[in-house]
Amino acid sequence: MKNVTKKIAINIGAGYTPGVNAIIIGAAHAAYKLGWQVVGIRDGFEGLLFPDRYPDDGLVDMGPEVIERLNPAGSDALGTSASIDPFHVRTVNELGMIEEVDMSDTLLKNLKDKKIDAVISIVMGRGLSILYKLNQKGLNSVCIPRSVENDMAYTAVSFGFNTALSFTIDMLDRARQAAQSAHKIFVVEVLGEQAGWLALQSGIAVMADAVVIPEINCDLKKLGEHLNQKLTSGRPYGLVVVAEGAKFTVDVLVKAATLSSLKKSLSPLATGDDDSHAIQRSGKAAEFIANKLQQSIPFEVQPLVLNQWVRGGAATAVDRQIGLCYGAAAVRALDEGNDNTIIAFVPPEITFIPLVDALNKVRTVPAHSEFLKVAQTLGIYTGA
Amino acid sequence: MKENNSTNPAGRVLNIQGYCSDDGPGMRTTVFLKGCSLRCKWCSNPESIHPKPELNYDAKLCKGAAACGLCLKAPFPQGAFYTVEGADDKVLVNWDLAGECTEELTSLCPTDALSMFGKLMTAEEVIIQVEKDTSFYRNTGGGVTISGGECLLQPDFTAAILRLAHERGIHTAIETAGNVPWEYMEKVLQHVDLMLHDNKLMNPERHKKWTGVDNKRTLENFKKAYETFPNIEFITRTPLIPGINADEENIRAVLEFIKPYKNVIDYELLPYHRYGTGKYEFLGKIYELKDFNPPSPELLSHLRGIIDEAFGRNTQGK
Repeated sequence: MKNVTKKIAINIGAGYTPGVNAIIIGAAHAAYKLGWQVVGIRDGFEGLLFPDRYPDDGLVDMGPEVIERLNPAGSDALGTSASIDPFHVRTVNELGMIEEVDMSDTLLKNLKDKKIDAVISIVMGRGLSILYKLNQKGLNSVCIPRSVENDMAYTAVSFGFNTALSFTIDMLDRARQAAQSAHKIFVVEVLGEQAGWLALQSGIAVMADAVVIPEINCDLKKLGEHLNQKLTSGRPYGLVVVAEGAKFTVDVLVKAATLSSLKKSLSPLATGDDDSHAIQRSGKAAEFIANKLQQSIPFEVQPLVLNQWVRGGAATAVDRQIGLCYGAAAVRALDEGNDNTIIAFVPPEITFIPLVDALNKVRTVPAHSEFLKVAQTLGIYTGA
Repeated sequence: MKENNSTNPAGRVLNIQGYCSDDGPGMRTTVFLKGCSLRCKWCSNPESIHPKPELNYDAKLCKGAAACGLCLKAPFPQGAFYTVEGADDKVLVNWDLAGECTEELTSLCPTDALSMFGKLMTAEEVIIQVEKDTSFYRNTGGGVTISGGECLLQPDFTAAILRLAHERGIHTAIETAGNVPWEYMEKVLQHVDLMLHDNKLMNPERHKKWTGVDNKRTLENFKKAYETFPNIEFITRTPLIPGINADEENIRAVLEFIKPYKNVIDYELLPYHRYGTGKYEFLGKIYELKDFNPPSPELLSHLRGIIDEAFGRNTQGK
C-alpha cells in the first residue's frame, strides 16, 4: 500500500561515522523523485526539541540546491548529539534543580507542527531501541544501520564499516613497518566491544601474527607460545591486533573489590581502582596483553591504540555506494508503507526488517566463520 | 511500608549503612536517600542521582541464559534483556527498554544479579534500623547522618527521621550540597545538630560547568543557614579534584566565604577517588570524568595547611 508521506526529516543518532552525507544525498534524491520535501534535524533530535538554540530553528532545508553542494564523502551536514534519547532529557526545572524529563511527547508534537510525516534515522545499536520506543508512541520512521564495527545484525554490511576497515588496514601496515624496523612487537587495539569483525578482517588483510576478538576467550599463554615460535624463526618482530572488548580465559581485568572504611561510607557497591576500565575502556585491552606478553617474549612489546581515530576521514567508494543505496532504500520503504523498519543488505537484496526484530541483535563473529578459517589457514593465531 | 502520613512520611531510601566514620563525629549510621539536584561529573554515588527506583545489574552474579534465562521472557519487558553469541552466555541489559523493571520483577532473579536501587520506607521504619546501633553512638559520640543524593530533596521525610532521632536522644547530621529552595533547608535544619555541606567551586561559571547549575542559590542558602541557626554546627567540605577545584584560589575563596561565621567549625577537603566508577557499569551509565586522578599527597597537604592556618591550628610536626 502506498504511503501518504509528503515531507520527511533525516537525523543522525549519537556517535560519529565518516561519510553519512552519502546517505542524506541518496534519500534526498529519491524523495525529490516522489515530489516529497526533505529537511534535516540538527544534532539528533535536539534541533526539534530546542529550536531556539539554533539560528535556523534546528531544521536544515535539504532542497536540491543544498544537496547539490553537499560533499558525498563528508559528514558535516547535520551534526550529532551526545544522546538521541528524548525520553531522558537533562533540564533545570523551575526550582533550579536538575532533572531528566521525558520530552518524547514534545518531540512528536513538534514533528506534527512542522508537518513532518516520517523520519529517516541513521543510527547505531542503541538508537534502534530509542526509535522503537518512539514508534510505539506513533512516530513513523525508517532506520539506516551505521556501525564502524559492523556489529548490527540482519545486515551484512553496516554503513561506515568499509571506511573504518580501510583506515585500520592502512594504520596496521604502518605499525607493521615500524615493528619490523624497530624489532618490536606491536599490540594494536581497534574498535570492537562485542564483535571482532574490524580486528579479524584487518588482521587478515595485513597478515598479522594474532587476532584477539571478544567472541573467543584468549589464552595468553598460547598466544605467547605462538609469537615466540614465529620470533625464533629469524623474524624479530610481530603484530597483534586486538579488539577493544577482548576477553580472556581468566577474566583478569575485573578483580573483586576490597572494602576500605572510606569505600564503606560511600553507599553500597563502592568499587576500587581496579574498575578503572569502567571509566575508560579504550586502550586497556592492548595495554593488558602487551604487559602480559612482555613477561614471556624477549623483544619489546608495545601497545598502540587506534580506536576512535577510525571515525574520521572521507568515506571510501564502497561506503559511498552503500550510503546512497541505503538512503534511497529508506525512502522506498516509506513509500511502500514499510514504516518502522531497518534497512538491511542481505546479498543480493536490500530488504526491510521490522525494528522490533532487530533489537538487541548483535552481529558477532560465529565460531564457524569463514574469516576465522582463512585466518587460521594463513597462520594467524585467533584463539580458536 | 506501613503508613505514609504527615507525622510519618515515606521517602525513597537508597541504603542504610552502619558503622560509618566519615560522615560526622563518632561511629554513625548513614541513611542514603535517592535523588539529587546536581549532576557533578565526578559523582561517586551515581545510583543516588535519580529520584525513582533504578535497575541494578551485576553481571558477575549472572548464571547465564542456558542455566537460568528467566529474565529473557515474560513477565520481564520485551527486549529488556538479551544475550550475544560469543565467549559466554551471560545476560546483557538493554538499558533503554529495561526502565520499566520493578522490584517485583527483579526479585525473580535467583542470583540477585538483578536488583533495584531505591526502596520506599517510612520515617519510623528508618528510625527503627537506626536505633539498633544506639549503644555505638553513646560510646563513640556518634549518631545518625542523612546523606544522598541530596537529602533536602525530601524535606518532610528527612525532617521526620531527624525529629524521631532527637526524640530518642540521637545526635543528628545531614550532608547536603544546598541546591534546593530555602524552605526545604529551613524545614530540616530545625532538627539538625551538625550540617556537613559542600562548597564545590566558588566560581559560578565553573560550578555550572561541572555540576550543571551555578552556585548563587547554594551560597545564599548557606549564608541564611549560618545566620538563622546559630546553634547548629556547620562543616564545609570540598571534594578535591585536580584540574577542577584543587587550587589555592578556590580554597581561599571558600575560607573567605565562611570567615564571618563562627558556627562554621571546620573546612574539610575530600580527595577525589574512583571508588564509585564501577557502579556506573551496574547502572549502564557512562562516567563523564575520564582523565582525572586523585590529588597528590603533597597537594593535599599544602591545601590543608592553608585551611589549618586560617583556623589557627598548629600543624607543626604533622
